[in-house]
Amino acid sequence: MKRPYLSKAMLGMAMTGFLVLAGCETAPETSTVLEEARAAVTQAEADPNVSQYAATELDRARKLLINAEGRAKEKGTRDPQTAHYAYLATQMAHIAGQRAQEQVAIARVKSGEAERQRILLTARESEAQHAQAAAQQARNEAANAQAQVAQANSEAQRLAAALENLQAEQTRRGIVLTLDDVLFDTGRSELKPSAARSIDQIAAFLNENPERRVQVEGFTDSQGADNYNLELSQRRADAVATAIMQRGIDAQRVRALGYGEEFPVASNDNAGSRQMNRRVEIIVSNDEQAIPSRATPGSP
Amino acid sequence: MITLSDIRNAFLCSLAFGIVACASAPVPVDKLAVAKSSVERAEQAQAGQFAQVELNTARAKLAAAQSAADKRDADVAARLADQAEVDAQLAEYTARAKQQQQLVNEMDASLRDLRNETLRNQPTAPQQ
Repeated sequence: MKRPYLSKAMLGMAMTGFLVLAGCETAPETSTVLEEARAAVTQAEADPNVSQYAATELDRARKLLINAEGRAKEKGTRDPQTAHYAYLATQMAHIAGQRAQEQVAIARVKSGEAERQRILLTARESEAQHAQAAAQQARNEAANAQAQVAQANSEAQRLAAALENLQAEQTRRGIVLTLDDVLFDTGRSELKPSAARSIDQIAAFLNENPERRVQVEGFTDSQGADNYNLELSQRRADAVATAIMQRGIDAQRVRALGYGEEFPVASNDNAGSRQMNRRVEIIVSNDEQAIPSRATPGSP
Repeated sequence: MITLSDIRNAFLCSLAFGIVACASAPVPVDKLAVAKSSVERAEQAQAGQFAQVELNTARAKLAAAQSAADKRDADVAARLADQAEVDAQLAEYTARAKQQQQLVNEMDASLRDLRNETLRNQPTAPQQ
């Protein structure tokens, strides 16, 4: 009985094949997983970042794919080991892709940090340039102011040089000229003829500089009654102001004030210092602005 | 004529073959350990947050590999362990790439802010 025996053996073999497949795993169609692996490796190869940053992983994916292809030729379409290699190749290709992405991102963070430094540096440089320009401008302004002061001083000097017997001093309030008391007799407020030359020159200066104003301030020493001194100083200041106006200077530009014993420039303890206190000061403004008053006794 | 006893004999025979086919190699303890540590590395790389699908695949494969090993299915266990390892690696690198991309996005945003800020603070050009 040859035939039943053979069929029994065949049945046993068929069953073995079925049970092996069922018991171990269901092998997928290798052509499908191979197709996936080829696509994944091709995609990874097409990405220049992968060959730059994940060459090792790409190489491993290629080798796994070659193994899978080779085994597929040898073992047919349902070999679990073929499918296994193909799966590993697919995953390795994906790993290569992710690795490359990570490295690209790392490089971008690094270049971003460099860019950040560059922006900060540029901002600082521009700030420094701006500060430098501002400093230069401040220096220019200071130089201009200095030049203006120098010009004003030279004007004061010019005026002083023109006016004999007068001291001229540049102050915040203007050019201050001091007429001493030899231009008046004691207790009197009429200008002596010797004052005429000084007044002429002050008037000429004011005519040349029509924007400037003049303030005449009279002072006495501390001898005598306060009221008398106040009145005398006012009359002397008025006399000088009148003399200036008589030389063609508009009354709007001339102001006369008597301060009496206030604002002494010396001690009043002896004849010499008392003489210094007896004086008329003529303040010529620096510009068209009114001359600031002496706010409180003692201040300049 | 195939009798019931023939079928039984064939079944026994095939079982014997099957055992020989499946459990011929020793259980791949090393591969399982490697796969396990790969999964752990992926978890440390925050794959649970950034590459959940990939990590879950790796975990499932590792569990399957373990259960195949318990059934002394050495070949299957070895393949599943190898696959779990690459799945875990993919999860790890995917998570790392995503996190790095987040840093790139943050950097881009901060650069944008910085550019706007410096543009706003740019002093007007000094007049020459």
